[in-house]
Amino acid sequence: MNLRFALRLVGRDWRSGELRLLLAAALVAVGTVTAISLFVDRLQQALLAEATTFLGADSVISSSRPIPDAFRAAAAERGLAQTDIVSFPSMLFADASDDARNQLVSVKAVGPGYPLRGAVRIADEPFGQDRVAETVPAIGEVWLDSRLFPALGLDLGDTVSVGYAELGVARVLTAEPDRGRSFLDLGPRLLMRVEDIPETKLIQPGSRVSYRLLLAGDSGALASLKASIDADLRPNYRWRTVKESSPTIGGALDRAESFLLLGGLLAVLLGGAAVALAAHRYARRHYSHVGVMKTLGATPADILWGYVCVLLIIGVVGVLAGLVLGILVHLGIIALLSAYLPVRLPWPGPNPFVVGSVTGFVCLAAFALPPLLNLRRISPMRVIRREPDRGLSNVITYGFAGVGSIGLLVWYSQSIWLTAWALVGATVVCGAFAVVALALLRGGRIVGMQAGSSWRLALAGLQRRRRENVAQITIFGLAIMILLILLLVRTALLAEWRSQIPENAPNHFLINVADDEVGAVQNLLREHTDYDGSLFPMIRGRVTTVNGEPARGWREREGERGEDLGPGLGSERNLTWSDDLPGDNVLVQGDWWPADTAESLISVETDYARGNGLRVGDLLEFDIGGLPVSARVANLRRVEWDSLQPNFFIVFSRSALAGFATTHMTSFHLEPDRKRFLNQLLAAHPTITVFEVDAIIAQVERIIDRVTRAIELILGLVLGAGALVLIASIQASHETRMKEHALVRALGGTRNLIAGALAAEFAVLGAFAGIVAVLGAEITVFALQTRVFELDYDIHPWLWIAGPAVGMALIASVGYLGTRKLVRSPPLLVLREL
Amino acid sequence: MNNHSAAAPILRVDNVCKTVATAEGQLSILDSVSLEINAGESVAVVGASGSGKTTLLGILAGLDLPTAGDVWLDGDRITAMPEEDRARVRGRCVGFVFQTFQLIESLTALENVMLPSELRGESDAGDDARMYLDRVGLADRLTHYPRQLSGGEQQRVAIARAFASRPKVLFADEPTGNLDTSTGGRVIDLLFALNRESQTTLVLVTHDTALADRCVRVLSLEAGRIEA
Repeated sequence: MNLRFALRLVGRDWRSGELRLLLAAALVAVGTVTAISLFVDRLQQALLAEATTFLGADSVISSSRPIPDAFRAAAAERGLAQTDIVSFPSMLFADASDDARNQLVSVKAVGPGYPLRGAVRIADEPFGQDRVAETVPAIGEVWLDSRLFPALGLDLGDTVSVGYAELGVARVLTAEPDRGRSFLDLGPRLLMRVEDIPETKLIQPGSRVSYRLLLAGDSGALASLKASIDADLRPNYRWRTVKESSPTIGGALDRAESFLLLGGLLAVLLGGAAVALAAHRYARRHYSHVGVMKTLGATPADILWGYVCVLLIIGVVGVLAGLVLGILVHLGIIALLSAYLPVRLPWPGPNPFVVGSVTGFVCLAAFALPPLLNLRRISPMRVIRREPDRGLSNVITYGFAGVGSIGLLVWYSQSIWLTAWALVGATVVCGAFAVVALALLRGGRIVGMQAGSSWRLALAGLQRRRRENVAQITIFGLAIMILLILLLVRTALLAEWRSQIPENAPNHFLINVADDEVGAVQNLLREHTDYDGSLFPMIRGRVTTVNGEPARGWREREGERGEDLGPGLGSERNLTWSDDLPGDNVLVQGDWWPADTAESLISVETDYARGNGLRVGDLLEFDIGGLPVSARVANLRRVEWDSLQPNFFIVFSRSALAGFATTHMTSFHLEPDRKRFLNQLLAAHPTITVFEVDAIIAQVERIIDRVTRAIELILGLVLGAGALVLIASIQASHETRMKEHALVRALGGTRNLIAGALAAEFAVLGAFAGIVAVLGAEITVFALQTRVFELDYDIHPWLWIAGPAVGMALIASVGYLGTRKLVRSPPLLVLREL
Repeated sequence: MNNHSAAAPILRVDNVCKTVATAEGQLSILDSVSLEINAGESVAVVGASGSGKTTLLGILAGLDLPTAGDVWLDGDRITAMPEEDRARVRGRCVGFVFQTFQLIESLTALENVMLPSELRGESDAGDDARMYLDRVGLADRLTHYPRQLSGGEQQRVAIARAFASRPKVLFADEPTGNLDTSTGGRVIDLLFALNRESQTTLVLVTHDTALADRCVRVLSLEAGRIEA
């Protein structure tokens, strides 16, 4: 059999409609996956781009030492955009006079082109309406934070002194994308040009300066740059990307990715199921065909080659058409959601097309190849004598499907966990379905004996085709289960995301509150806001030794490796003391100390302790303001970082820090229309620093909102794939049903009887599938939520009513539509065509 | 492999037995069947239902293998061949006409007749097929699908297909079994006429003695044995 013959075979089968379902299944599988991949790819790029504005760049190299020119040259060589930031604290004087008002500010000197991602926002009056700045300050100019104006009595156009430099106040600075999230970087901001730094003469040996090189461009070029300078980065330079710099955004992105991939994964499984059903039906319809060809001299190898060619042709056509369908669907989605999506989505990379194509071919090979391979074993004797066909071995069918699905899922999700749990869900469901479906069918038949004729016919039909119906209940159930899972997981994720940033989450931080200001500040806050918190003492220091061993060596030997394990032992940290366990912290190990303890004790955050190999009982020595302080680890505690409350890796007992002067900090919620309160606060306490995080929260909310939209879309696409499985599954039993019902009609059954029996049969099938789908969904969602998404889980009573009802309505209507022809055609015609 | 000569029989069966396993134990369907059929001969195999006629036909045509014994077809010992080689022998020298016509539903009359030549990779399949369809009187039904044809017409398409492969041996399994008497008669006339023209060896399985009598030789099968 040659390729031309295979092409003819395809042409003829296409004409007779036999390949349409298989091609439709392949098309939808590829189309759905491609559309999801394209959309996810572009959306992820957009989300990442939006998230990179938190860094002001795609990647940042930071250090307390100047950035070597070699790094800049290497970045330029790769065509990357780059700009410098130098930041340091300094005193700002309102004028050059000796008694000028002054304020400690956080100076940020930037190069032209800053920021590479996101935008700086400026205003023409303090706390006024802001807008995007098109440029950076001109040389000789500064832009100042709103609160510096009342604190120093400044107006736009005034001159201020920074070190030896005198600079003009040109704009009010309201926001920069990479406004520090480290407390080192806090303080009212002063934005100036790096070119003006030499004139200030502020940078001396030993000055506390942070140098950053912002980088933006192609991810390949960035990776290549990182690889080439990796050895030179350590130990003094740090390479950061958005996920590391902003754990909240990183977490949201990770969860969005997980969810979107789960959607894609389920679409692949549904597409595979539809392909398998269509291929089994196609193969069954070709048994006689193959028998005849074998009597005419076709060898098993011919048959094999012929049908592999058929599959290849279907694959090529299905994949190409599927890619086009995917592009169209994703364009449709984007058009539909243009109002909610970023203004310009980046162009997709080649990846979605590769994903779509590979998915198509692997799907066909895993789900459609086994029944077609089996065709070569069809005995030519079947043409002269009806013999039972040697069915396809289950090992081969499920083996192929299993290897194919698992391979695809792991490759697609890049997560063995996610795949494993999706499969555990599917396996549990299939096992439960088989058992429950059998019991339900048996019970249904017994009840059916007492029922009216339509129901009796329907339930007898269900019981007679027990094997097929168990399989169909499994597939219907799987489709319903997947929809339920999506619905439940989506609801849970949204609720969790929303609760992550509670309605009245603190959106302003106050630091640098002196000891004698604590009471007054607390009163002001209580008077003008809903504040009911307390102020935390704060002092900076670092760990020098653990149990007498230098900190670095200890961490290397004892610390766990891994992400999210907090900063290193030796770096300078904000420290605090407290008599009580901070509000939303949870004690994990050890005991909290009595308020009046005279011992020098510390409480350590769990991840920080794991990352640095610290255990209860360890003795740590700190360097605080040049003085050594020893303290023993009394307990470990878990911290809810997402709460936006002030939190610390290390908390001391009060007596341990008794001799040190500390400043205080706190956080509070302030509505946007009450921002002017900050003026009042700062006028009364000019040395206090306010850190506004409401802008960051707004950005996080915007990202979460867009992710939500994406999830709703994916849900729609997966629903479409689910509907196709229903249709394929009804088609699979079409011939048997037609024959039976034609016989009943030939024997005098009315059209109404058949219609009623069909509706009843599909309704019962749907209800049975619904019951087991709910069971499977509850189990799978429990696993997904507790293991993958790390959320809490509650059972859903409404589901146990809604699931079977939805199953009944859905399958009865789709099934009835699919079998209308059966009811309408005259029985003789139906019998002759079989 | 092909050492066939004019004097040698085109089909030789030597001590063929066929048993199948059933719930009640081994069931013997063919019991030490031996026979020879010469090229150009027409032979009818008759017998009651269950006598083993169809099984014998399957084994003679290389569609099935015996439990014991040997079959030589056109000089090839097909019982010693794997399915792959037997299929090639069938493609080279065997044609079939079946009781249930066995046309492929998705193919037109013309395409059904072209099928054997296409399987051999021949390029002029169309012309030959048209010629044979014309010969069976269906020149105006080339593009009709089997379901659009009557039973007699379908069997004529099947006959055209059988001869289009220019077989050395034509196996016919109850070719009139699904047809009424007069249609059956016309189909048989056509079958024998074409057989004469093509000088094909005809092996016909039937329980219709009148039909069997039109063959040169009649072999009677009873309980799996050839009656003398």
